[in-house]
Amino acid sequence: MSKVHVSTIINDDTVEFLCESEQTLLDVLRDDLRLTGSKEGCASGDCGACSVIMDGRLVCACLLLAAEAEGSTIETIEGMANGSDLHPLQQQFLDHAALQCGVCTPGFLIAAKALLDRNPDPTETEVRYWLAGNLCRCTGYDKIVRAVLDTAAETRN
Amino acid sequence: MSTHGVGASVLRKEDDRYLRGRGEFVGDIQLAGTRHVAFLRSPVAHGYLRNASIPNECRQQVFVADDLAAVAPIRAHSTLPGFKSSDQPVLASGKVRHVGELIAMCVADTRAEAEDIVDAIGVEIEELPVLSDMLAAREAGAPLVHEEWGDNVFLTTDFEQDLDPIIARAAASVTRTIRTARQSMSPLEGRGVLARWDSRLEQLVVYTSTQQPHIVRTGLSECLGIEHARIRVVAPDVGGGFGYKGILLPEEICLAWAAIKLGHPLKWLEDRRENLIASSNCREHHYTITVYGDANGKLLAIDAEATVDAGAYSSYPFSACLEAAQVVSILPGVYDLEGYRCRTYAVATNKPPILPYRGVARCGVCTALELMVDALARELAIEPTEVRFQSLIGPEQMPFNNITSKHFDSGDYPESLRQVIDTIDLDSIRSRQQRGEADGRRIGIGFAMYTEQGAHGTTVYANWGIPMVPGHEQCTARLTPDGGLELRIGAHSHGQGLETTLAQVAHEVLGIPLEQTRLIHGDTAITPYSTGTWGSRSMVMSGGAVACACDELARRVLRIGANLLQCPVEAVRLKDGAVQGAAGSIQLAEISRTWYLKPQELDTEADPAGLEVTAGYKPEQDSGTFSYATHAAVIAVDPLTGEIELLDYVIAEDGGVLVNPMIVDGQILGGLAQGIGTALFEEMVYSTDGQPQASTLSEYLLPGPTEVPDAQIIHLETPSPYTRFGVKGIGEGGCIAPPAAITNAINDALRAIGVELSVLPVTPRRIVEAVAAASDSSLGKVTT
Amino acid sequence: MKPVDFDYEQAKSVDEAITLLTQSADALILAGGQTLGPMLNLRLVQPELLVDITRIDELVRVEASTTHVTIGACVSHAAVEDRRIADLGHDFLARVAGGIGYRAVRNRGTLGGSVANADPAADWVSCFAALDAEILVSGQSGQRIVKIDDFLVGAMETTIGTGELINGIRMPRLGASVRCGYAKISRKPGEFADAIAAIVHDPDRGCCRVVVGATDGLPLLLDNDALGLGPAVALPAVLDPGPVRDHLAWHMPVPDLYRLNVQCAVLQRALADAHAFPS
Repeated sequence: MSKVHVSTIINDDTVEFLCESEQTLLDVLRDDLRLTGSKEGCASGDCGACSVIMDGRLVCACLLLAAEAEGSTIETIEGMANGSDLHPLQQQFLDHAALQCGVCTPGFLIAAKALLDRNPDPTETEVRYWLAGNLCRCTGYDKIVRAVLDTAAETRN
Repeated sequence: MSTHGVGASVLRKEDDRYLRGRGEFVGDIQLAGTRHVAFLRSPVAHGYLRNASIPNECRQQVFVADDLAAVAPIRAHSTLPGFKSSDQPVLASGKVRHVGELIAMCVADTRAEAEDIVDAIGVEIEELPVLSDMLAAREAGAPLVHEEWGDNVFLTTDFEQDLDPIIARAAASVTRTIRTARQSMSPLEGRGVLARWDSRLEQLVVYTSTQQPHIVRTGLSECLGIEHARIRVVAPDVGGGFGYKGILLPEEICLAWAAIKLGHPLKWLEDRRENLIASSNCREHHYTITVYGDANGKLLAIDAEATVDAGAYSSYPFSACLEAAQVVSILPGVYDLEGYRCRTYAVATNKPPILPYRGVARCGVCTALELMVDALARELAIEPTEVRFQSLIGPEQMPFNNITSKHFDSGDYPESLRQVIDTIDLDSIRSRQQRGEADGRRIGIGFAMYTEQGAHGTTVYANWGIPMVPGHEQCTARLTPDGGLELRIGAHSHGQGLETTLAQVAHEVLGIPLEQTRLIHGDTAITPYSTGTWGSRSMVMSGGAVACACDELARRVLRIGANLLQCPVEAVRLKDGAVQGAAGSIQLAEISRTWYLKPQELDTEADPAGLEVTAGYKPEQDSGTFSYATHAAVIAVDPLTGEIELLDYVIAEDGGVLVNPMIVDGQILGGLAQGIGTALFEEMVYSTDGQPQASTLSEYLLPGPTEVPDAQIIHLETPSPYTRFGVKGIGEGGCIAPPAAITNAINDALRAIGVELSVLPVTPRRIVEAVAAASDSSLGKVTT
Repeated sequence: MKPVDFDYEQAKSVDEAITLLTQSADALILAGGQTLGPMLNLRLVQPELLVDITRIDELVRVEASTTHVTIGACVSHAAVEDRRIADLGHDFLARVAGGIGYRAVRNRGTLGGSVANADPAADWVSCFAALDAEILVSGQSGQRIVKIDDFLVGAMETTIGTGELINGIRMPRLGASVRCGYAKISRKPGEFADAIAAIVHDPDRGCCRVVVGATDGLPLLLDNDALGLGPAVALPAVLDPGPVRDHLAWHMPVPDLYRLNVQCAVLQRALADAHAFPS
């Protein structure tokens, strides 16, 4: 079928690409743009491993066609650090050992960033409910939650 | 304890790349010219494969069993008496034996196009009656999964003992039937294979998401008939294993074969549907179990029959024998029994082959035994913790040979129970139960204890007689010209944090900064042979090997340092990353640079062996370390809706000396989440015609951030007398006890209304039905 | 799991969308993609054309009159959750929206998509039934308005026809003394519910609708008389469990104790919710 031309801004860079109609945004990010930090964990919107931020909103890249990203601004995990300086969330994840195998980590970081961008002072319950769309099989979530709460506290000070 | 050695909670070295999204998992690796594979998988659970009609236009892109006729089937035999072998063809031939079994490999430029080809193939299967229930599969006259066997039993294992004298003097006995569900390990990253033929090195290169790269290499060699030296297996970053990736896959063999035949790289990534449908494969147990106790509540004896659903084939290398045979030897748990009788059946069914999920049989046996402890306590009208205190092996008995000759190395089981009772405040829960809840819910508290064999070694595995027996574990340690340290191990780290903790072990010996230490793992070309990462063995085995290799490096460094300082080697010592003596001090980096770049400065006394050492290690007593814990859960249950809330959770664990307590906490908390999944959520249901009922993660429910409570972890630390630094394996423990602790808590809450659950997962539906049955029943107590 | 090949068009108007739908033999509407996406990925649907309707201004409109609010079909759950649209009253819609799926799903999923899919366990299905909402359907012959009770035909089944799409959902503005309650029970937050209850008690408009949802079929509008409810009667804090149970059991074609129990429970919880929210 015919290719689609898409113009986006990804991590502050202007990016144009050609894609098939049926390619998801996740496929294009990973396979064509070599941004492999976002992962496929389920292809059904249940695990959050593919989380990206599109036009300021948390979304699952596996449930978006790349074509739907026309004209959008996208943030992926690759854009989260500031050069060699880790984003505060990333630093707190490191300090808390909030990751083990690392596959779910980009999704959690993006989802947590989306939370703190919207609500800089969440309760633990709010953090857990916001992150309910992200699954981890390794950590049991506790250290992730602590890291997010500590980031919020640190940012407020 | 130094700030960066054994015992330090240092931050993980491996985290930076994962935090930035720069981890490199199989799916992230791109090689030029790669084509993609999709598999046609059996849509039915049991049948004769009559025909696969492949459209002419894609015939060259489809491979079936006949094309791979020269490839040997996967065969994982056990020499345990009576074990029946199953040949698992790499692509189905003659018969299909489970939904999802591979029938054809389809190759195309994209995965989507490969799936188009799959969809275009017509498959004719003459369906046969399906064995979807292991108990039915055991019955005489049942249809046969492997026709040449005569029955459907891979293996029967026995521990026989005359229990009549004990039964005669027992004050009480309780008998129950307990079932645990089939689960899917569901790591966030599925399996994945990228295979290519390296024509420069004349070598097959297989990137695969595995826990055991060297074992995969051996398996590929056997099935493809290619010598080891022409095979290189690389486990890059791996997104969780839990036993799911301790296997030689038919997919690995297919892609390796095709990479050689077609001359270009081939990639297959397991998607979530394949993961759930074709591979759901662990933990389905059935117990009929009786325990006998004296009037004080001391456990005297256990009499049990257990059945394990092993699936259609014996997977390589762990085989279909392991889980069921293991039940027999570990069911006694933490208790000092006088009598024990147990028979287990590993049964073949039309389901995917079983694999050892974290904890292996221990999760099932802990569930069974700890539920029985509480049942016995209720029978005797005493506290379940009292039965435990009466029955536990005491610290003064350590090291202890239990009734099945398991050698427990060290531990204080009663102390861990005491600390949990105090911390969770059992008394206050009992008071609260007396008061009742305004909202009509019922509160319950449950305990569970286990001891976890880890790093069990040569003798144990030789007895299983499976294709893999661990021996001495190796580490190659090398100093670089600039004083850095490279550690090469054959095991693999996929969440355990070994890139950090093994550097800590090395630091304990050599004092080299962690930033200058690098762990190399996963690549068979550059690491020593190892059976891999499983059975909580890595810190004991690879850690011991790292320490041994560093010990020898230290000796060599001291000799060179003494040489350069012109003094006897007895007069120098290694401290703070330098060789220090009365005559002066030389940094390790300087010694290293001299050895590699300025050998003229060394006199003829210098040891020519150099600064690269391969050392082997295993504990003298290699029957395994035994970490252990007590878990306690407080729950609230709504008898009307069956909803469960976890109110409190306390763990007192003893993993021996902890190399990195922060990482250990992570392992325990992760295990707890998996245990909650086992207890309350996870069940891969099969229909009577062998169809798995869940194909997405909205049907197979994994615990999320809202399902796991804040848990408190208390650390006890009883060193193992047998291992380097006194470490023990701890990776599996966290998931072993939660199902029993939580189920015991639910049963504690509902006992007053005559309900006792004994089927996992304990779902709201099961609770509601049990409550109704209890109130309908005139007998009072009903078990469901 | 990769989708089959298909074409993709972004419609710029409702008319264009309808034209595209009717021109192609196998066209599907793409709105939020949260239901369609998994189906495409799993190859449960294999369309030839997807018509993206999310760029049509008309479909993201919110119109408020003194008596009604009309929400465009492509308004997202998150827009409602975030209170970026006019309140019907009692903050009802926002409270329901916040419990749908996960935040990432809510950011893309749409009200129209949810109603068109008509999953009995979907929150909007029960909520709109309780509100006695009307579905605005656009087709080749113009627009028609269908009451929710007529629009929903069964589980996953509506009266929407080929070449038609949902244009918007029209709901009555609620009276000053309205009480609305919503409750659901699911295995995990974010997953589809095992039972839903939605209550709209609006004496000023003379209506009281109590709905039990996540049934096997249509949302169940309870019989006010059987339960002693009505717009002229104050909404009780708790319902007598016996008559509730009998009523729900009577409406359950295949007896299912667990479903019955959770239906009874959510009804009481929805009542509590209605009273807990300050009017």
